Amino acid sequence: MIQPRSGRVHTTFGQTIAVTGRLSSINPNLQNIPIRTERGREIRKAFIARDENHLLMSADYSQIELRIVAAMSGDPNMCEAFRKGLDIHTATAAKVFGVDEHAVTKEQRYKAKSVNFGIIYGQGAFGLAENLSISRTEAKEIIDNYKKEFSGIQKYMDDTIAFAREQGYVQTLQGRKRWLRDISSQNFTVRGFAERNAINSPIQGSAADMIKLAMIQIHAALKESTLKSKMVLQVHDELVFDVLREEEEAMKKLIIHCMQNAMPLPYDVPVLAEVGSGANWLEAH
Amino acid sequence: MIFRAYYALVKSPRITSTGKNTNAQFGFLNTLMDLINNQKPSHLAVCFDTKEKTERHTDFAEYKANRQETPEDILLAVPDIKKMLQGFNIPIIEVPGYEADDIIGALSVKASQAGYKVYMVTSDKDYGQLVNDQVFIYKPASGFSKAEVLGPAEVCAKWDIEHVGQVIDMLGLMGDAVDNIPGIKGVGEKTAAKLLKEYGSLENILDHADEIKGSIGEKVRNGKADAIMSKKLATIILDVPCVFNEGDFALGGWKEDILTEVFNELEFRTIGKRILGEAFQVGSKTEQQKDLFGNVVESKTSPSVQASSVSTESNFEIVENKTIENTAHQYFLADSEALRKQLLAMLTAHMDQGGEICFDTETTGLDANRCELVGMSFSIKASEAWYMPLPAGKEACIKIIQPFDTLFQIPTLTWIGQNTKFDLLVLKNYGFEIKGELFDTMLAHYCFEPDGKRSMDLLSEKFLHYSPVRIEDLIGKKGKNQGNMRDVEIEKIKEYAGEDADITLQLKEKFLPLLQENGVETVFRKVDTPLIKVLLDMEYEGIRIDTDFLHAYSKELEILARESEERVYQGAGVRFNLASPKQLGEVLFEKLQLDPKAKKTKTGQYATGEDVLAKLAREHTICDEILSFR
Repeated sequence: MIQPRSGRVHTTFGQTIAVTGRLSSINPNLQNIPIRTERGREIRKAFIARDENHLLMSADYSQIELRIVAAMSGDPNMCEAFRKGLDIHTATAAKVFGVDEHAVTKEQRYKAKSVNFGIIYGQGAFGLAENLSISRTEAKEIIDNYKKEFSGIQKYMDDTIAFAREQGYVQTLQGRKRWLRDISSQNFTVRGFAERNAINSPIQGSAADMIKLAMIQIHAALKESTLKSKMVLQVHDELVFDVLREEEEAMKKLIIHCMQNAMPLPYDVPVLAEVGSGANWLEAH
Repeated sequence: MIFRAYYALVKSPRITSTGKNTNAQFGFLNTLMDLINNQKPSHLAVCFDTKEKTERHTDFAEYKANRQETPEDILLAVPDIKKMLQGFNIPIIEVPGYEADDIIGALSVKASQAGYKVYMVTSDKDYGQLVNDQVFIYKPASGFSKAEVLGPAEVCAKWDIEHVGQVIDMLGLMGDAVDNIPGIKGVGEKTAAKLLKEYGSLENILDHADEIKGSIGEKVRNGKADAIMSKKLATIILDVPCVFNEGDFALGGWKEDILTEVFNELEFRTIGKRILGEAFQVGSKTEQQKDLFGNVVESKTSPSVQASSVSTESNFEIVENKTIENTAHQYFLADSEALRKQLLAMLTAHMDQGGEICFDTETTGLDANRCELVGMSFSIKASEAWYMPLPAGKEACIKIIQPFDTLFQIPTLTWIGQNTKFDLLVLKNYGFEIKGELFDTMLAHYCFEPDGKRSMDLLSEKFLHYSPVRIEDLIGKKGKNQGNMRDVEIEKIKEYAGEDADITLQLKEKFLPLLQENGVETVFRKVDTPLIKVLLDMEYEGIRIDTDFLHAYSKELEILARESEERVYQGAGVRFNLASPKQLGEVLFEKLQLDPKAKKTKTGQYATGEDVLAKLAREHTICDEILSFR
């Protein structure tokens, strides 16, 4: 996979593969480099800066999909939590379990986090119960509380499905569309599949739009400047750069600025990007 | 078969230009053609259910009551499929009040009595009850498994029974969730097989229910009525009013007009051409004689058509995709300095009038960072293109391209291409950068139709009804022996490459209005198009890899994997192939009995995916080890 001429790997990005609007990559596929296990993460150590004068810099969006959910739905409680800069899962847990934020237990936060992500992937009480190994009754209670406290999100999901049924498509914040031809099917398996896509596609697709716009801005800013550092990888919500050491601070500033401002979200939901650097990708992340 | 075909493609549906889902029709046709071409049956018939209620429904109101509504796409597919069958001259058998299963059963008996070997094409395991030394199940291939022929031995092995008559005893005992046949509550496959081994038949089990110990005995005693009814429901009725007519069932003689019509309607261009194209050679070929002014003077029909009574005169050639052979085009070669100058002058003049240039590169491979340029093609007008061959040496090649760099440098000029990132990367590796705007047809298609595939050949067939020259015709099929563009004779490359630029230009004309109609032009222009050059630079740059670390780490992982593997074998008390999901499933769920409710996949193996193991890992460390091995 290493090209003799450059001594590097040159991945090929797929711009027309993922239906949601995300990028894909082959040779190597960066999307499936494991990040959940320690051993998998170690593989990132193999990705290094081009020479001693360079280091790798990695920048990624924090909670981007949930921020997009908040901004697309305009749910007051969730938008407020992000605007205040709160830990979103703790804030969610406080509302759902009716306790003070400081009193939220680890377990409650974990459950709230599962609900938050369950929303993105269109999961119901049954899926939540499975994931958390809790009874379906408890899962239902959590979800009911969630719907009450974050009624804007439930409304957004209902509205999105209704929109899809009427128009035949859903769209991202940038107007990227996905057609859902099965959204009105009488067959509930087929319909359910389309409904999950109706919820999930605008969220994932908007996140994809955002990082694409950020890349375009960073690329343009680098071209206009005298900076020699290069953007080299894109994977999920993350960008990786091969940075000349003396440009480290300038690059950090430029990257963060572009990522956070590339696509401002409705309801003033702030966008947060974090950046790190090191000799290899693992250290940088 | 229709349901199977539909669901096999449900995640990447085939949609016609009018928005019709043709998964079921396409999948069914493929299975049918595979059957006819590879199994070569002498006789064939297709049986359908009818809407009429059957004896089973009147006996048992719940029968098939748990079934969901049939997806509309399937309901709409049935008339098309019936029409295709008519076109193939294959009889459609329906008997009101009987299910297709019953008709197939009855016909199988009749045909086997007439001396035929009968294959029932189905993936339904219930048909096992009909199998004998003359009648078999033919289970067609699916995405998961190869085609299978099941005789009595295979059926008995699958069900773990003594003889095929016990299939209905099994179904009576364990029921069938798919058809909502209840069976005896709490009796599963294993218990059912065990009981049958001991008592031989369902009736005998029920007669001796009092002797059966424990909770199973109690279940059997409580479930007698259900068991008797379930067996009845599962029994395929052989007394169906239908006849096996050898003459009608004999395969042969397609009605091309019907097939042409239905393939045309479903936009089955490729498969339609494959089927009817072959038929032309053996069946009918109509040549039109034209006079000097292009008027048809007479139709000359080859004798074979008259000999064949069913083949009607074909009008398929009218709807068949156009190709380079029957389409007027002018592709020029620019292989001298004078001709290249002429080409450049023409492109420049076109640009001065605000025109756009469609371009394509021909290369020695598909890795843009490694392949060499073989040539470039340009088109500025439909049906016209230029091909400029390029020499093997990098320096010589650069020298020839150099004059065109003035065009590349113009920021306002629009370059049209299919997957331009590839062409631009190839050029960048020769030191050329196109500064102009881009219109990428692949990207445009992605924006207005994100689902499905979008190779140039596919797009051309779908939107232009034109089948381009296939790369395989030039350099052979994919694989070790595939040739190199460099070795193809120039005249052939010229036609191929010229066509690519020409077609891509024509696609752009089709796609621009589609982007607008679908309201996706903004995302195409503001997000996806500018990203092409960003990704191009990233791909060009690449990232350094610490190969020493990777080698050392892969060794380390290998050792860890070996250790985990060893602990799995110790935990299981048996050595097996851990990489085989089939063997792993048997060890975990049959030998170790980790989960009495273990789920199976569509292929009948136990599910041993990460999610399954992760759940079990909470209680069983062996699953943890398997996960870390993976």
